[in-house]
Order: sequence, then structure tokens, then C-alpha cells
Amino acid sequence: MRKIGTFPLSRIGALGGIAICCLCAPASSHGAAPGSAESSAKQSQSSELPPLDRAREMGRAKSALLAPVLRKEAPASAGPSTANLVDFKKHVAPVLTKTCVACHGPKKAKGKFRIDTLDPDLMQGGDVDWWLEVLDVLSNGEMPPEDADVQLADEDLTKITGWLGSEIQKASAVRRNEESHSSFRRMTRYEYNYALQDLLGLTYSLVGSLPAETASGDGFKNSSEMLQMSAMQFEMYREIGLKALKHVTVSGERPKMVVYRLPMQDEKLSVNSNEDIGEVHPLSQKLKKGEKPVKGVSLDQRKRSVKFNLSNHLPDEGMMRVTIRAGRSTMNTDEYANLRLDFSAHTSNNANFSQVISDRDMPVTASADSPQSIHFDIPLSEIQRNPFRNNIEKFPRRDEFLTIQNISSGRRNKEPLKVLVDFIEISAPYYEQWPPKTHRDIFRESDHKTNEQKYGREVLTQFMERAWRRPVTSKEVDPFMALFTEYRPDFANLEEAMLEVLATVLATPEFLYLAQEVPASNSENPQTISGLELASRLSFFLWSSVPDEELLELARKGTLKDPTVLSDQVKRMLTDSRSNRFAQNFVHQWLGLDGLDSVTHVKDSSLLEAIQEEPVAFFDEVLNRNRSVMDFIHSDYAVVNERLAGHYQIRDVYGPHFRKVPIKPETNRGGILTGAAILAMNSDGKDSHPLKRGVWMLERILHDPPPPPPPNVPEVDLTDPRILQMTLKERIADHRNSPACFSCHAKIDPWGISFENYDALGTFRTKIANQPVDATSALPNKQEIAGMDGLKRYLLADRQDQFSGAMVHKMTSYALGRPLSFSDRAEIDSLTVEFRKKGDRLGDLIHLIVNSSIFHSK
Amino acid sequence: MKNPNAASMNRRKFLRGTGVALGLPWLETFAANDSGPDTAPKRFVSVYHPDGVGLPVKADPAWKDWSWFPRGGERDFELTKVLDVLEPLRKEITIYSGLSHPAARTVHGHSNADQYLTGAATGGHGAYKNSISLDQVYAAQAGEFTRHSSLVMSTNGGVGGPRGAQTQSYNREGRPIPAMNHPKQIFDLLFVTSGKDAAAKLARSKSALDLLIVNTRSFGRKLSKHDQETLEQYLDAVRDTEVKLTKARKWIDTPVPKVDTRNLTLEAGPKEARLYFQTMYELIYLSFLSDSTRVATFQLGRENGGGSHDLLSKAVGFGNAHGLTHAVKKPKGWENLGTYNRYQAEEFGRFVQKLKDTREPNGQGSLLDNTFAMHGSASSSFHLSRNYPIISAGGKNLGFKNGRYLKFGKGNEDNQAGAGIVSDRGWQGKVAVEELPLSQLFVTVLQRLGVETESFGGITGTLGRV
Repeated sequence: MRKIGTFPLSRIGALGGIAICCLCAPASSHGAAPGSAESSAKQSQSSELPPLDRAREMGRAKSALLAPVLRKEAPASAGPSTANLVDFKKHVAPVLTKTCVACHGPKKAKGKFRIDTLDPDLMQGGDVDWWLEVLDVLSNGEMPPEDADVQLADEDLTKITGWLGSEIQKASAVRRNEESHSSFRRMTRYEYNYALQDLLGLTYSLVGSLPAETASGDGFKNSSEMLQMSAMQFEMYREIGLKALKHVTVSGERPKMVVYRLPMQDEKLSVNSNEDIGEVHPLSQKLKKGEKPVKGVSLDQRKRSVKFNLSNHLPDEGMMRVTIRAGRSTMNTDEYANLRLDFSAHTSNNANFSQVISDRDMPVTASADSPQSIHFDIPLSEIQRNPFRNNIEKFPRRDEFLTIQNISSGRRNKEPLKVLVDFIEISAPYYEQWPPKTHRDIFRESDHKTNEQKYGREVLTQFMERAWRRPVTSKEVDPFMALFTEYRPDFANLEEAMLEVLATVLATPEFLYLAQEVPASNSENPQTISGLELASRLSFFLWSSVPDEELLELARKGTLKDPTVLSDQVKRMLTDSRSNRFAQNFVHQWLGLDGLDSVTHVKDSSLLEAIQEEPVAFFDEVLNRNRSVMDFIHSDYAVVNERLAGHYQIRDVYGPHFRKVPIKPETNRGGILTGAAILAMNSDGKDSHPLKRGVWMLERILHDPPPPPPPNVPEVDLTDPRILQMTLKERIADHRNSPACFSCHAKIDPWGISFENYDALGTFRTKIANQPVDATSALPNKQEIAGMDGLKRYLLADRQDQFSGAMVHKMTSYALGRPLSFSDRAEIDSLTVEFRKKGDRLGDLIHLIVNSSIFHSK
Repeated sequence: MKNPNAASMNRRKFLRGTGVALGLPWLETFAANDSGPDTAPKRFVSVYHPDGVGLPVKADPAWKDWSWFPRGGERDFELTKVLDVLEPLRKEITIYSGLSHPAARTVHGHSNADQYLTGAATGGHGAYKNSISLDQVYAAQAGEFTRHSSLVMSTNGGVGGPRGAQTQSYNREGRPIPAMNHPKQIFDLLFVTSGKDAAAKLARSKSALDLLIVNTRSFGRKLSKHDQETLEQYLDAVRDTEVKLTKARKWIDTPVPKVDTRNLTLEAGPKEARLYFQTMYELIYLSFLSDSTRVATFQLGRENGGGSHDLLSKAVGFGNAHGLTHAVKKPKGWENLGTYNRYQAEEFGRFVQKLKDTREPNGQGSLLDNTFAMHGSASSSFHLSRNYPIISAGGKNLGFKNGRYLKFGKGNEDNQAGAGIVSDRGWQGKVAVEELPLSQLFVTVLQRLGVETESFGGITGTLGRV
């Protein structure tokens, strides 16, 4: 790798620290270089490195955002909003002229950029984006280049960054009131899915046919500008809405159930009352010649599954409930057992299929002495069925098969773990009640049931209020009532006609979009969202779905905005199981985990699943324990399950569930950077991919995305014997040294190279093709980084402000469902200061955002 | 102060700018570029036959007469006895070799009818997923102009099972579209429909859309100007749906075309193979002639046959058609299979001839000149999902130049790879010769039908020389 000059170490640390601070630094702070970077930069070069937790403490101690001078100034955002051109002329312009204009002025305009023509009025002028760029390259020590004739003294640097930081802060606040920054958007596909489920009590997805969302530049799928609507999509909303309504409602008499049971088992264990049962079929296990039917089933490592032929008795629609009573033969803590269901058919030679139909594996935790009942509910219309099942001819074969699989860890104990099943019952269509609750939630009991107009209006009003997340006026209901009246003669009963009308409600923008209404002209706070809008914003943030009755009730009462009430609600929402969707969706989008969908080199599906799950589980751990987000950079624990622990060579972790375990430095894990998800996704399928990893670091962790590649990138010539002999890192360096590539790659590659000790599966390595791994690199600001430990150390020592700012930015953008712009910068910066002051804790961040004025703004 | 800096550099600006243009769902691309109602209709039909064709080794005495593929070069090719029935149509047809779908090359031939028109990795076992078929990509565009967007037929009807397809057509979600197999039912749909229920359903939809437009307007009034612009996209979607509805409504009010029914035997079933076959082809012909649809698929039998529907070979005096492929090493085995394939080609030829003999009612040339007609299978030799035996006919006005035998790929110029094999060694064996993705032909076909696309089934690019 090219060695890049010598550079005073004190500069490096100071510049790193300034990266964010200058945004908030008041104009008067000239000369007061914040932080005590010097000592840490020197230490990071010495042979005895402090442990990472110490680096983290030191990094925090020198945070510019936490510097005393800021604490005084930060909340005062209502400063004068005219440009400070006096200071510019007096202090800044002379420095720029002296330092920059030679290369970026009338004589030369390197990079097609002139600094002398930038408009110094950030409030009114059109060059804010360029000033932000200037601030970045100066703060990160990228300019002036070290071979330039003129260098920038620390004092001069602070003059520029101090002035710029203050102007940017003011300009951002000014523009906030001028620019549109709308959160008006339609639901994403996943939000629509959850909204249907929560609204209707549906327990499965019907939205597979909707097109998936494209992620925004930030990686977010709920970003307002990305959520389009087309005729095709609109028609799908109508279809899916009607289908969902039909799935949760019923008509006529309760249908008799088809029931399958193992022979010789105790009927008293049945989950069904006898009068509901129609046909009863024995479950036939394949028996060997002369073998008698046995009571129950025993599954272990040798016999992992049992397959039952259900013939063709199952109905086409409705829920299939599979009840399995099971227990473990041994209770060793280092072994686990789970049950999984498979559904299959073999219609003729080679025309077969099988699929997993259970959402998730169900653990067997009870002992065989007191077994537990495990239920699976499977929507029969939504799984692949045997299309020939209703034929009269016997060929192609009409049978369908259910397989119960034992997913367990195999240990060679003296007494191997068995799952003992003493009862199996399959019932379909299964209803807990008749009519089911989902039906009664739409068609409620009423005194007016006999008066169709009155009752119809009741049903409609109730439904519309839930779908629209607000009270509705009778005038708003009128047209829908008229539609009902028009439809009614076409249908046999009120319910059928009403479902068509309700499906229309589900196609309205009031349901499909998240809106903020323009307040009445006499409103006290025209920029503030209403309580009902807050309820929706909150629930789409933390539940990816519509608000529940409790939130709506508080909003209607007008108390939701009360800080104590709001805080209690956030706590309640985060403990509700629906908040899993937040962790899942935020983490996937923040880290870009969709990238794992196109990974083909992780062959073991249980490993791939574990790899995908880890970042979410880690985030959950940090969120639930309200830990510092610096844990994402490095932690002295890992959150793993047995499969992943094996992959990371962490011992004594048993079972498929994720849990926090302490790790030692020699495990070479901790945080998310060393998670196999990031490493596998950012590889080329065979080996690591430093460029992808570098880009990922810049985009996802540092929130400093590199420019897109230029159109005419020269290919790396692999027929050139000189290049073929190089190591990957040498090839990158070679490529980077071509002038067309240098400027971008110098910024990207060093980050990625520091990941080189991890291969395409995320396995730690010290050698590549028998040569020692070289994971050392130098950042554009000349900071030397030695491998992953060096990277973490540097991030913790010098980039805490940047990373916490990135977290605040990304979380806020996700919470609002829109991209953040320059006009949001002032608020994001002050939120970041608050966040840092409180100790960078993830749980606090949620509360901070929810209580911020940006979250309550239109 | 005016800033002369080129707008090309600022990366943040750039990144903020990109995404927006990418937001449209990919489906939208089909909406572009139509063949207007005033030009001659462009048509597509695909006929699929299961069980592949005869491919004896050269040393076998049967090779001379009963190997499916022609001999010789691109123009001077010579048809064997299997295809000699097409000799009179020589100038109207193209025969292809060296094409197959890469994702299924090592999957058992029995499982592969599903992916013939889709190119999806449908695999041999486990979970199953398919993707949109060629005909349906075109139907999404051509369906704008006709009463039926496509006609999906097979001898066995319905969808079949995963890896045991009884339809060639799959919708945009990869779900099978049920095929019709009773001539009477198809005829009624095309030429008898009354449409009372359909009219009532459309009327209800119309009322719902009207309501949504009014409701959305009043909702919009409560929004900021900026948000109203966003909402406009929703209104456009509703209006586009209304336009579609109006078109559908128009078809209900338009009387069904009157057609010449002399050549139809609507009660024929697969047991009266020849009659049934001809009637099904006649229905495609009539639907094209009356411009009731411009897209049709027709599957003969199902892979791995069996059951009452595998009786098409009765027309040439054989029992179960699938059995012929297993009996090629028995006396006259190659000849029997070849005779059955010859009969399939003969009926296809009869259909092609009829298209050729009929003038295009609203355009240049014959029906055939505006129709791309394909005939093929997803296996060549025994269970072998490679080197698909494909014939195409017509399409002169779309840009197809016929009268040729086009060999693609490398290393199998004499079609001997996998020849003569009657065991599973064949389909399980390594792919030793190079073949081109059939989807490249599909991209060419789509482009010539007027669909703007560069790829199909995950394969980008067109097929040269076609």
C-alpha cells in the first residue's frame, strides 16, 4: 500500500473530533480546539494499547458535542437568522483566499470547483450544499492535500469551521420553515400487511402479490418519496382488501370439522367439542409388516420425522389446527427439541412438492411425564395444495401429506433425547368460536340488527373509524352507505354486500396513506400534528402498523401529548410484541440486510437464518437493556444461538434462541461490524470484498455515503500477469492509484481493508492463501488503522460523535418516514447532543425522538 | 454571486436525487409502447408437447429416419421422416437446436413442463416457485385490445400440480393460470358469452371508483399543496382503473363475433385424438381471426402422462404416449416415437397452413405473417432437459426470416449429446456441451411483438441470427 507522507499526529485526532462538533460550534469559539485528541492519538500508536472499553471512555471524554461550551449554547436555536457576513469577511475569507483559492479559484478550478464564487450567505444563497462539502473535507483532514504548497494552521481551520458551523445551524432553522418536508406517504407493503392483520385480526400475510418497496438513498423503505402508487397496485389493494375481509368473516351455519387422530389415543384430549366434529379419520403411520398400530410417536436423531397421509379429506379453505401433545424424554440443558410442520404431495413421478407450513419452530420444553400441548394454525387456502385433490380420477394422485419434524440438536449422550408424542389431532376448518371473534368485531351485536339501514351504518361507522384512525362524521359515512344500498340487491344478505363496501374503505387514501391535515387557519400551533396524527405516527414508528384502541382513545381525549402519558405509551408499545416489527424493519433497512437475500454462498440454511437474525437480536438486546449504541461498534458480549455460536467458535451455547453471552477479545467478535451478516453480505461469494465493506461502513455506520462509481470504470485486467500475482489488497491499491479512481477509493478502501481478517462467511482468519493477512490501512486523514481492533479503537476514540449523529439521523428519518434535509439539521444536531449527554442509550433515543419537536411537526 | 461550479459533482445532492426515478413498479414498463388498434394485430401462440422427441445415436439404424433434428446447414437442411410433413411449409418455419433454460438443465424432464415458457428455477423437489410466462408478458400488453387477454388451453385442463403442469401460462406472481380443455366450454367463452354477472360486477366497481374519486378529492382539500400533488398519483391510479373498466364494459356491450363453425366438433374428447386436436387448433384459429385474443397457449398431454388423458397417440394407433419414450430400444421403438412426433408436427402444420391461407382482415399479408407460432418441448432425449426441440412458424411481418435450421451453442452440432440414453444417467449427467438460454429467443420474440424489454426470466439479451 502506498505510504502517505508524514503528518503531525496531533492534527489527526483534533480533526477527527471536529467532524461533527463544528456544526454546533458558536462563532465565538475561535481557537478553542475541542477535545484532548492528542493524547489518544499518540496512545493509539504506542505498543501497549488500552482495552477497547477504555478507548471508548476516552473517546467519550473528548467528545466535542459534550464539550462545556456547547452545553451552554446548544438549546439556543432561536438566534438571529441573518447571515454573519461580517465575520466571514474579517476572519474566514482571508484564510480561504490564502489557503484554497490557488487551486480552487480563477486560475485553477481543480475538481471543477471554485471556492471564491461560493455565496457566503447561507440563509438566502444557493450554495449551502457546497459549504457542507467544504466543511466535511476540512473536518476530515482531506483538504488541503498534504502535497499542497499551503497548509492550514489549526487556528485558521477553527476560524472556518467555527463560522461555518454556526451559519449552517442558523440556515437550517431558517429553511425549516420554508421548505416542504412532508411525511405524507402511503404505507409500505409490510406496513399494509401488519395494518390488515391488526385491523382485521388476520394472523397471516395476504400481500405477497404487491410489489416490494425500493429503498431510498438512506436505505429506508418507508421513505415518503419512494412510495409510489399505480393502477396495478391500486387494483391489488382492492383485491387483497376484499380477500382479507372474506377470510375473517363467515356466513351460514358452523361447518362440521374434518378431524384426524392417531389411533388408540385418548379422545378426551380433543380440543374440539363433539358436536362440531363431522368425519373422523385415523392418522395412518406407515407400519412395517406385522407391526401393530402403536400409541403415540417417538422422534429422535434417527427417526427425525413422522409423515401422515391425510388422503383428500381436508377442506379447501379455513384454518387447519394441528395439536400435538409432546414431551422430552430427558431434560439435559445442552439439548433442545423443536417441532416443525411440512406439507407435501406426490402427484405422479417427479411431480412433487413439499414446503414448510409452520411460521416458526415450536420448542418442546415439557418433560414426557407432564407433556405440553403445541398448536399450529395453518390457513389452508394460503399453502400449496395438491391441485388434483378434488378430482374423480385417482391419477394423478390426490393425497396430501403432513410431516411432523423434530428439529433438535444431536448429542451422543448415553440416553439420547427423544420427543415423545402421545396425542395428535388435526382439525379443519377450525374455529375457536362461532362466529369467530374477527367476524363479530366487524358485525357487532346491536339492537338494530333487524334494521339494515341503521345496522349497516353502525357497522360502517365503526369500521371506518378503525381503518381511518380517527372519528368520522355521518357526512363522511353517507357515500359509503349509499354504495351499500346500491349493492345490497345483488347479494343474498347484508354481510356479503357490506364486505364489498368495507373493501372499498380499505382502498381509500385515508387508510392507505399516513396524512397530516392542514389545520384550521385559527389553529394555535399550525406546525404541530394533532393528537390523532401523533397516535398514527407513533404506531407506524414502533409497530409498523395502525394504532390500537388505547392510543386512539388517549388521542381523542387529548392527553396523548402529555409527556408523561406519551412516555408511558412508548414504554407500553416497546413491551408489546408488535414492537418486534420495529427492530426487524429498522435493523434490516438501516444495515441493508436485504443484501443477504442475494447471498448464495452460505449453503447451510440454519446458518443463514442465524446470520440474518443476529443483528436484530443484538439490536433487541441493546434496546431492551437500554444500552449505549456504542455497543454496536464494540461490545464485550455477543448475541448468538447455538448455530451461530458454533460458527464463531463460542462454546457452551445450546438451543436455537438468541441470548447474550460474554466473549473474550480472542473471539474477535463483539458489536455488529464483525457479525457474519455484514461480512457475508459484503463479499463476492468467495472472498471478502473490501470495497463493498468500505462503502457499507461509510453509508450505514458513518452516514457519509461515497459518490456513486463513475460511468467508465476501467476493469481490473486479470490477464495481466503482474496483476494476477498481486494479493487482493495490492490489486485494490493498484486500481486506486490510477487517477480516475483515486479520489473515491482513497476514501472507501481503507475502511474495507480493516475487515480483511474476516472471510466471505465472516470466519476469522490470519492467513489468506498461506500469506499473513494484511489488514492495515490509512484513512484519507492519514489515520493509520490496524485491522478490526484498530478500526473499532479509532471509531470509539475519535468518531463517537459522528456515529451517534448517524444513529440519530437514521432513527429519526425512519421514525418520520421521510428523508431528512438540510432544514432538519439544526434539530438533529441538538437531538444528538441530548442523546450523547444521556449516555448514547438506544432506549433513550426512542423517547428523545418521540418527545422532540421534529416528531411533533407536520 | 453566481456559482459556476458544475452540477456534476456534489455527491449528496446526487444521492438525494437518484432513487426518485426508480420508484415506479417494474410492471409499469409493460404499459408502454402498444401496437395500436389501427395496425395489424401481432399474435403469439405456443404449443407444448411433453415427453420430448426421439434422439437415437448415429450408429443406430433408426438414426437416419427417426432422429428428430434435421441434417445439414442453415438453409440446405434436410428433414427426417419425423418432420417431413412440414416440407410443404419449409419456407414458413424455423427449426432450432442448442437452446434450453439453464436453471433446469439437470432437473428430471418429468418436472419441467412448468418452466418451458417461464425459465424459472422450479427445481426437482421441495418448495416450489414459478414466474411469469412469456405469453402472459405479452398478454399484459396485447390484452388491451381484445375481449380476452389470452386463451389458455391444454388437453388435461386445470393447472396440474407443481412440477406436473397442465398449463403453460403463469401470471405475474408465478401462479398457474388454469387451462381450458373442453372445446364446448372454450367456444362458449369465445363466441357465446352473455356476461350478465360480469356486467353487474363492473357496475359495482364503477360505483366504488366514483365514490373513491369524490372521497379522495374532499380528503385532498385537507392536505397541504405539496401533499395534494402526492395524492394526485393515487387519483391517477383510480382513473386508470376506470379507463380499464370502461374498456371491459365496452366488450360486454359488443356482440360476440359470428364465426364459421363447420370445422368444429365441440363434443370431441382426447380419446378421439385427431378430431379433438383439430378442433382445439380450430378454436385458436377462430379466436385469432375474430381478434378475440392475440395470445394462446396449448399444452398437449402432461409430462409423465398416465391416466385417461394420455391417449393422444391413439390417433396414430398407439396406446399411452409416454410409454413410447420408454420403449425406444424395443423393436420399432424409435419409429413409433417418431411417428407420434410426426403426427404432432402434422397437426401443427395443418394449423400453420390455415393461418397462411387466410388473409389478415385488417392488415398486410396473411394471419401467419402477423403470428409467431411456437411448437416445442422442454426435453429432447429421454428425460433430458437440454437441447429443446423447437419449431417456430410465421412472423414475417414481425421480422422473422424463416426457411432455416438454426443451430446454437457449441459442441453438439450433430445433436448427439445425450442421444440414445434411456436411463437417468442422461438428465443427471454433467452438462458437457454449451447451449444458449432459451430466454434469449423469448426476449427477441417479445421485442418483435412490441414489448420493450431487455430481459426475460433473469436472462438479458436477445438471440442472434433469428
